[in-house]
Amino acid sequence: MSHPETMMKRQRVLGDFGEAALRSQDLNEVLDEACRLVGEALGTGRAKILEILETERQLLVRAGVGWETGIVGRLRLPMEEHSSETFAIDEGRPVISQDVAREDRFDVPAFMKEAGVVSFVNVPIFLPGGRPFGLLQVDATEPRDFGEDDIRFLRTYTAILGPVIDRLLIARTLRSTEERFRLTVEQALDYGIFLTDPEDRITDWLPGARAVYGWAAEEVIGQPSAIIFTPEDRQENRDAWETETASREGVAPNVRWHLRKGGERVFIEGSTRALRDPDGTLLGFLKIGQDMTERLMAERRLEEEKERFRVLVEGMPQLVWRSDGEGQWTWGSPQWLAYTGQRQEETHGRGWLRAVHPDDRAAAVDAWHEARACGALDVEFRLRRAADGSYRWHRTRAVPLRDEASVPRPESRILEWLGTSTDIDDLKRLQGQQSILVAELQHRTRNLLGVVRSIARRSFDPSPGREEYEARLSALGRVQGFLSRSPTWEVALADLLDAELMAAGDGTSERIVVSGPPLQLPGDKVQPLALALHELATNAVKHGAIGQPDGRLKVIWRLEDGRGPPLLLLDWEESGVAMPAPSVERRGYGRELIERALPYQLQARTRLEFMPDGVRCRIALPLRDPEDEEPATWPRGGEHAP
Amino acid sequence: MLHNRRILVVEDEYHIAEEVAEALAEEGAEVLGPVATVPAALAMAEGEERIDAALLDVNLGGGMIWPVVDLLVGRNVPVVLTTGYDAGSLPERYAHLPRCEKPVALREITRALQRALPS
Repeated sequence: MSHPETMMKRQRVLGDFGEAALRSQDLNEVLDEACRLVGEALGTGRAKILEILETERQLLVRAGVGWETGIVGRLRLPMEEHSSETFAIDEGRPVISQDVAREDRFDVPAFMKEAGVVSFVNVPIFLPGGRPFGLLQVDATEPRDFGEDDIRFLRTYTAILGPVIDRLLIARTLRSTEERFRLTVEQALDYGIFLTDPEDRITDWLPGARAVYGWAAEEVIGQPSAIIFTPEDRQENRDAWETETASREGVAPNVRWHLRKGGERVFIEGSTRALRDPDGTLLGFLKIGQDMTERLMAERRLEEEKERFRVLVEGMPQLVWRSDGEGQWTWGSPQWLAYTGQRQEETHGRGWLRAVHPDDRAAAVDAWHEARACGALDVEFRLRRAADGSYRWHRTRAVPLRDEASVPRPESRILEWLGTSTDIDDLKRLQGQQSILVAELQHRTRNLLGVVRSIARRSFDPSPGREEYEARLSALGRVQGFLSRSPTWEVALADLLDAELMAAGDGTSERIVVSGPPLQLPGDKVQPLALALHELATNAVKHGAIGQPDGRLKVIWRLEDGRGPPLLLLDWEESGVAMPAPSVERRGYGRELIERALPYQLQARTRLEFMPDGVRCRIALPLRDPEDEEPATWPRGGEHAP
Repeated sequence: MLHNRRILVVEDEYHIAEEVAEALAEEGAEVLGPVATVPAALAMAEGEERIDAALLDVNLGGGMIWPVVDLLVGRNVPVVLTTGYDAGSLPERYAHLPRCEKPVALREITRALQRALPS
């Protein structure tokens, strides 16, 4: 049975706590006071409040009195099944332990035993709505039988405590929400945010507004928001339209150029929103706008860039396209579409192949396989022209577009291929015509030589001179043959010698040795040299090594590559020849060719000797003209005359 | 060597035709022609009962000899071409035929014909 004095004291404690709870907005402070007062009321001097940490399944010593430092605000107890605390919460009613030493229902936390707690009572604290907040725990250092009165008091006490805690928790949440909101808004420097009153005068100017519009808050508070509108917009009353629309419809778009403090323009995308109190009275306007100037300019530049590219691509005569590395197209230019009659999506993937001549498709696909290996595509195929159904040759080339190499990927990657197809049909036709013309020219030139020879036969009676003449014309014809066959306008010296020796006799025999390194004679040297060799060979047939059974012929050449132009050194050596008596032959046309024509025309040095056992001839022929080494010196007529 | 051989000569250039015909005759051959055009050559190639060999100019005033070649090859007549073209300018299917490049030495022609004829 309780003492009237005790009752009074407890009544006073309840009253004190009520006051403390009203005075303070700080949850920790209120909970600490709650512990102090309850310890006082029950005379234990020791109490604590444990808060449930739901997610961690732990109990935090949230507040307390009579405990050493390091416990309150720090210590956490696991919510184990065999604890008195968990039991009290689960049961929803006070749990008393009269003597810890004899307690066999629960485990008692070590820190409590160490602190000398001998008996305690746990009273659960519920928030309005029945959700448990935690426990009020009153501890005593001697065995104590917490009586009916104590329990009733503690129940009353926790019943008051619950709503107080609830109110403070809500206030704390609200405060942090507001704080978060304020921080968020003030950090949003890309957004010009400000508030105006119902007359559209600026009342709040947030940091973002300063960043976007340049004005400081003290410069604009009280000013009409029209100051950030351009003169043109003000002229058209856009500012008034905006607030009127917002008043009427709640919100008005605000997407236009605005003025900054210095007069520069910024492009704003945002809105004006009417603010009203719950009964509908207009409080003012909230204006939020994002500075889009940079993005707008970048988009504009990109558009211009795209437009330039488009004009370039669509203006050039080539058919342009984009593809991945396997020849899978992603885009064909309008020219391609117009030329082939394909629709854009028909070109995609390998669809473009359908515009290629069926015979050329395999080559086109092969070219793509090669392109991957060598990093460039270059192939010729025929494309069908939709306008008349004709197939025309196109040269198609593409190069890969690569990304930047980076440290993790030192090899740059191919992003796509950019290609063009150029109509080369006319060019091909012209090339074809040209080769026909060249062939025709060869035909005529050589026919003409034949005709000239045959007219000579008709004009002169048979004579040694006529035969020599005919043979020389044939040699000329052979030179023409060699030159017309050579795409590089060069003739191999060995071929030239073989042809002359063949023409002179019935072919090579073991008495003839021809030897020297492979050597290509420039076209302009061929004819004079061939005629000289022809004369030597003809002479060898008639009077020398080829015609006489014991005669031997060695034709040996080498290349001397020292100072000056490379020099061909050719030796014609006959031996074992019974030389005829000196005659006019020795001053004949052949001798003239070797001793005069070659030095004159080809700057060659020559020596022709009639040795007792045969003819020796040495020809030293510069293979490049001296003009190639130094500037040509041409006769200049009279202009240098004194 | 060409004794009694009947040899068709097709050559559009008069001087050359005469010269060749004369040279073949000197070797004892019986010259068929010479003729200067593709139709005339076709007519002979078709009409002559016996042709032992043919010496054919490739380009007859712009017309090409190929129909005549086809006909004669069909008749198993050995053919020797004379041409100012090099082998690269000839259609691939005729590139293997024996060929004398102009201006041809007469000796070369007779040699080529002798080689072409079955002995």
